[in-house]
Amino acid sequence: MTLPDAEVAPEVVIEGVSKTFAGPVGPIEAVAPVSLRFAAGQTTALVGPSGCGKSTLLRLVAGLEPPSTGTISIGGQTPDAVRARAGLSMAFQDPSLLPWRSLRGNIALALKLARKRADPAAVDRLIALVGLAGFEGARPAELSGGMRQRAAIARCLVTEPRLLLLDEPFGAVDEMTRARLNRELPALWQARGATALLVTHSVREAVLLSDRVLVFSARPAEVVADIAVAFSHPRAPDLVRTNRFLDLCDQVSEALSRGETARRLVAE
Amino acid sequence: MSTVADLPGARPTALARVPRWLPGVVRFLRLWEGAAWWLAGRFLLAGPLDVIAHAWANAGLLTRAAAVTLENAAWGFVIGNLAAVALALMALALPRGAGVVAGLALVVFCLPLVATAPILRVLYGPGSGPQITIAALAVYYTTFIPLMVGLRAAPASWFDLIRLYGRGGPSALVQVRAMAALPYLVAGLQIAAPAAILGAMIGEFTGADRGLGVLVIRAMRGLDVTATWTLATISAAVAMAGYGALGALGRWLAPDRPEALLTPPPASATRLAERAAIGALTVLVVLLLWWAAMELADLNRFFAKRPDDVWRFLVTAPQAAAARATLAAAMVETLLWTIPGYVAGLVLGAALAAVLTLYPAAAGSVMPIAVALRSVPIVTTAPLIVLMLGRGATGTIAIVAVMTFFPALVACLQGLRQAPGQVLDVFAAYAARPVQRLLHAQLPAMLPAFFAAARMSVPAAVLAVTVAEWLATGRGMGHLMALSASTSNYNMLWSATATLAAVSALGYAGVALLERRALRRYAPEQLS
Ligand SMILES: Nc1ncnc2c1ncn2[C@@H]1O[C@H](COP(=O)(O)OP(=O)(O)OP(=O)(O)O)[C@@H](O)[C@H]1O
Ligand SMILES: [Mg+2]
Repeated sequence: MTLPDAEVAPEVVIEGVSKTFAGPVGPIEAVAPVSLRFAAGQTTALVGPSGCGKSTLLRLVAGLEPPSTGTISIGGQTPDAVRARAGLSMAFQDPSLLPWRSLRGNIALALKLARKRADPAAVDRLIALVGLAGFEGARPAELSGGMRQRAAIARCLVTEPRLLLLDEPFGAVDEMTRARLNRELPALWQARGATALLVTHSVREAVLLSDRVLVFSARPAEVVADIAVAFSHPRAPDLVRTNRFLDLCDQVSEALSRGETARRLVAE
Repeated sequence: MSTVADLPGARPTALARVPRWLPGVVRFLRLWEGAAWWLAGRFLLAGPLDVIAHAWANAGLLTRAAAVTLENAAWGFVIGNLAAVALALMALALPRGAGVVAGLALVVFCLPLVATAPILRVLYGPGSGPQITIAALAVYYTTFIPLMVGLRAAPASWFDLIRLYGRGGPSALVQVRAMAALPYLVAGLQIAAPAAILGAMIGEFTGADRGLGVLVIRAMRGLDVTATWTLATISAAVAMAGYGALGALGRWLAPDRPEALLTPPPASATRLAERAAIGALTVLVVLLLWWAAMELADLNRFFAKRPDDVWRFLVTAPQAAAARATLAAAMVETLLWTIPGYVAGLVLGAALAAVLTLYPAAAGSVMPIAVALRSVPIVTTAPLIVLMLGRGATGTIAIVAVMTFFPALVACLQGLRQAPGQVLDVFAAYAARPVQRLLHAQLPAMLPAFFAAARMSVPAAVLAVTVAEWLATGRGMGHLMALSASTSNYNMLWSATATLAAVSALGYAGVALLERRALRRYAPEQLS
């Protein structure tokens, strides 16, 4: 069986892209001109200090904001064209669940908007996978912050997109659940060979989930380090205790602090 | 968490709600009966027992009249609210024209119903056309405003979600805007229910042959105290029932109500020049629509005056100076009694709300009574106030004050509840005194609701004063319009209508300006 074009994980190419917002005290350059290439089927972790423009970069890739300069191509198409056929999905930093819909209703909405058939059993399986079984009928207001975030992840995954943009998807999730989600969720997109961009503040998570870690400096951000993570998927639970893993974590942490220092020197 | 729990009206459970009404109502009835005894023989007040006896004796007549009024009000309610929804969608579809649509809606809302009613009577002839139209005119604005807020009340990220899957405006409207606006719509509809009854009764005042309004006029002309009180009680009960029914429907449709109902379409950050341009454009559109409506319907120029007729009558005709003088004198008379009543009502409402916040237990029982009394149409209160306070300044000012008092009280009580829980928790953590909490956390949170009420009260106050002048005092614009209508002086009637609408719209704009100033100073976070 040949997959239709839309079903192939896309390569994402960003060329000379920047984004400037009109702030109250003059323009804010949220993303300085940057060129990046994200290989098809790879998961890339983006780490960097708060406010360096990670969320903005993801919104640019999703086509939710037009870039001020440069071009973005997703498998040779524009973000708008990809969105128009629901070829990508994003988990926002803030869960953005619709308060009048139940958990199940919120997840089903994504399928409806993507013009995909809702398979109730599949939706419920996904809900169980993010640990929310028993809350299918609950309204977002009845869920905790971490539960809402997990609901948003489920909503992002349910349409089985070939490009996933995950903006700190586990930020408000407790440590235990986070560890379990780190183990179980990546398989959902990596087994299908989807391309993923994952923003996270956790160095460990970045290394554990990705094939590549990009470290940004403070705003206007530059890429301080581009670190390949050459472990095969799925990753064994005891990987995190290996020296190679810890070594990579050190590299990322070191690059993060290097980015901070570089900026501070520029500022002075 | 106790801070939040003992605020006024912290959501009562359904169980606690029902009995809370009862003692209040019983106390009210006893006070009323007591007052009637005390004032017996002075022809001011009929007690509940007299009212019941009168209602019983005239049950057939009253039921038929109430049914007619209800039917007209229901039609007006439906038509007016459909118009509100259409207008709001139009403003949404034409973001650039939204300012003009809102301005147009405001000017139409500012048309003094007391003048519109006789004009409509001439246009429609006999029948229930005017009543239904007036009822529709009385309701659409209080639905339009919250709807405009509700349709924009959703956070940007919800729209991002829709766009994420390649969907656009229509999906956003169905999945996000309509649902986010539903509680606002329901709140608007609830306020519209008593307003529709008010409108229908005003329509009936002008030459209808059936309905509660007709009986009210008859009772007032005949100085029949018992009948006046009976009719007031019945129409108040009908209005409150409508309010309650819509409230129940709303709770069922949209259990998550917005906390503040009419909180501003926040004075947008547009510049003065831009606002002036929108204002000028609105005036132009109004004049154009007025002229076009008359021409297209091919209405007789004798009673359907065009803008240029008014211009001629007030500016270029030989007797223009005399006409202007008459109009100005009436306007001054009206304003002299409107402004004190308006200010008094607002200030008393806000002050009572603030005081009640310091005594949460009392606030809990006042809120439902205030909400109930807010729904009593002014056409039923006005005759009672005139009976008790006379046809002079006191009575008229009191009528205006009552008209603005209850909306201000209810809005302010709701506004005071807006103070964010976390902020109140901070005050609680420092064991701040209730007065400090009121001054620093709750009053700033109350301001937007207060000003929303103040804005909406401008046309309401004009309506109240013109009704009073028309029915009772025989002075001012209300009297001038009634007189012009009965003497077929249509030039004067249209001129008075246009002037009064312009003055109310300007008053509204003036309050909006004050609102922006005050919010910028005391609650800048409330301005978007
Ligand atoms: N819509 C906007 N208007 C104006 N400025 C914006 C807007 N969105 C983002 N910014 C600015 O752009 C910069 C980058 O924001 P962004 O949200 O991309 O940061 P981030 O890296 O995701 O931070 P965090 O890790 O805290 O989520 C910030 O300085 C922010 O103030
Ligand atoms: Mg971010």
